[in-house]
Amino acid sequence: MTEANPPSRPLDVDSTAVNWKLTGVLVALTAIALFVLDPRSVFAITEVMIFVLFASALNLVLSYSGMVSFGHGVYFGLGAYGIALTVARFDWPIWAGLMAGPVLATIAGLVYGFLSVQLTFIYAGMLTLACAEVTFGIAHQWFSFTGGESGITGYVVTRLGLSPEMFGLTVLIVVTVSLLLLWRIVHSPLGLVIRAVGENPMRAGAMGHNRKTIQLIAFTISGFFSGVAGTLYGVFHGNVFPDYVGAQFTLDGLVMVLLGGLYSFSAGIYGAVIFKLADNIVSHYFELWELVIGIILMSVIILSPAGIAGYVNRLLEHLRRRTHA
Amino acid sequence: MPEQPTGAVALTVRSLRKNFGKFVALDGVDLSVRQGERRAVIGPNGAGKTTLINVLGGQLVGDSGSVMLGTRNLMKKYPHQMSRLGIGRTFQISSTFPRMTVFDNMLSAHVCSASWWFSLSAGRLKRIKDEVMSELEIIHLDRMADQVVEDISHGDRKRLEFGMVLATKPSLLLLDEPTAGMGLQERHELIDLVLKEVTRRKLTLVFVEHDIDIVFKAAEHITVMALGKVFAEGKPEEIAKHQGVQEIYLGG
Repeated sequence: MTEANPPSRPLDVDSTAVNWKLTGVLVALTAIALFVLDPRSVFAITEVMIFVLFASALNLVLSYSGMVSFGHGVYFGLGAYGIALTVARFDWPIWAGLMAGPVLATIAGLVYGFLSVQLTFIYAGMLTLACAEVTFGIAHQWFSFTGGESGITGYVVTRLGLSPEMFGLTVLIVVTVSLLLLWRIVHSPLGLVIRAVGENPMRAGAMGHNRKTIQLIAFTISGFFSGVAGTLYGVFHGNVFPDYVGAQFTLDGLVMVLLGGLYSFSAGIYGAVIFKLADNIVSHYFELWELVIGIILMSVIILSPAGIAGYVNRLLEHLRRRTHA
Repeated sequence: MPEQPTGAVALTVRSLRKNFGKFVALDGVDLSVRQGERRAVIGPNGAGKTTLINVLGGQLVGDSGSVMLGTRNLMKKYPHQMSRLGIGRTFQISSTFPRMTVFDNMLSAHVCSASWWFSLSAGRLKRIKDEVMSELEIIHLDRMADQVVEDISHGDRKRLEFGMVLATKPSLLLLDEPTAGMGLQERHELIDLVLKEVTRRKLTLVFVEHDIDIVFKAAEHITVMALGKVFAEGKPEEIAKHQGVQEIYLGG
């Protein structure tokens, strides 16, 4: 058995640099896969990448800032609504719409975040849920503006008219840059203050930092990156529906982070990849693929609370010690 | 170095009151601490010592009265504002970042109190590495830098918390039972460390302590509290001879 509260990995100031070799290899392999595999697989990889970004954005809030969010689908979905509404309703050019998605998500993160940080723990979590319900209500009921249940379709040519592999490559670039920025944030002075507040708000408070301010900063940053992911998703499918801001996306994101492993930067990466692989592959052979995800999640939580990332880290640590011994 | 002006008042508390429902925790406390002074606050359980420290640190808000740091009114300020004004504190149960390493704890203390805390530059962190290590050396934790705080001993955690507060460069240090739960030798080692650093950095020290030996060793002045009020005040030798204090606290 492992401890219920896994220690975060030490922040070695000398190894906060990006592992460029690993990053380069992963990016190159993904790029090659996009150009050699069939379109169905390319779509699957594209979707995985989008969710890697969404889950990593959520992970900033869950693993580092000490908050819970039961409504992160909102910031994802508002990314898609941002471009759909500005392009379809206000005739903005596509490029401006692409900017509007993350901006709308950031504003929502700021406003809902401001409300939520007034409370703590489960109460703050319930407030994020309430904010999500309000947003879903607006998306679902305001027929003349949001299109209601039938959403907004056809506001852009699907994938901006790009071929599956070229769109996949675009997503790869945007997601890679976003993850590098998130890495930079987590391993910076600001990231350390966010972690400090997340771990012990009383100690951080006595050293000059207001919990509310720092958590709001983290929540807003997370809103922005969720919005980037959502904008990509909207353009990928060329549509937007109320479900995009709904509970399913929120839940999927939470499951991905837990699966990947709290208190680890790579939680969103492992989590989204495994979740979406199960979705795409297991569902092929077995209708109840969510049952499989459920069983995997239960095993991970019981056997390795630090998730897949925690397991991999322990394995690497073990190997490192053996080679040094 | 020019001498610090002695005699200037660093901290003034006037008629401070704090109720918890019907329970009166602070019933009009008056206190005046000079710059560079070492003041112990003692008294039986429930006397209001920790409540006083919590109001001074901003963790609690006083109901009425005033708290002045120099000429600045501190009433109704938040803990983070108190810290920015130069008040550093430890807690009765040591408060650190348990899932971080000893090194990261000290690094956090530096970054939290730095003006560039919002920076995104990792280079900033690298540049203060040596400074952080030397702060750890002062509290004798440099060899444990890589250990996760959850795994270190109670005494080491208390020392770490003290070191972290020092790293925020306070002018007034509030210590709530700095040696509680420690072994005899460890207590004296810690208080010697506190005295050394307080003297070296010319800090004003206000501490709550139950161990009378430690109190008499460290304090220049002692404030005795009972039932939310200041019961007696004076030099250690005066307090030791005080009839009433002996009855309520020292056990006759």
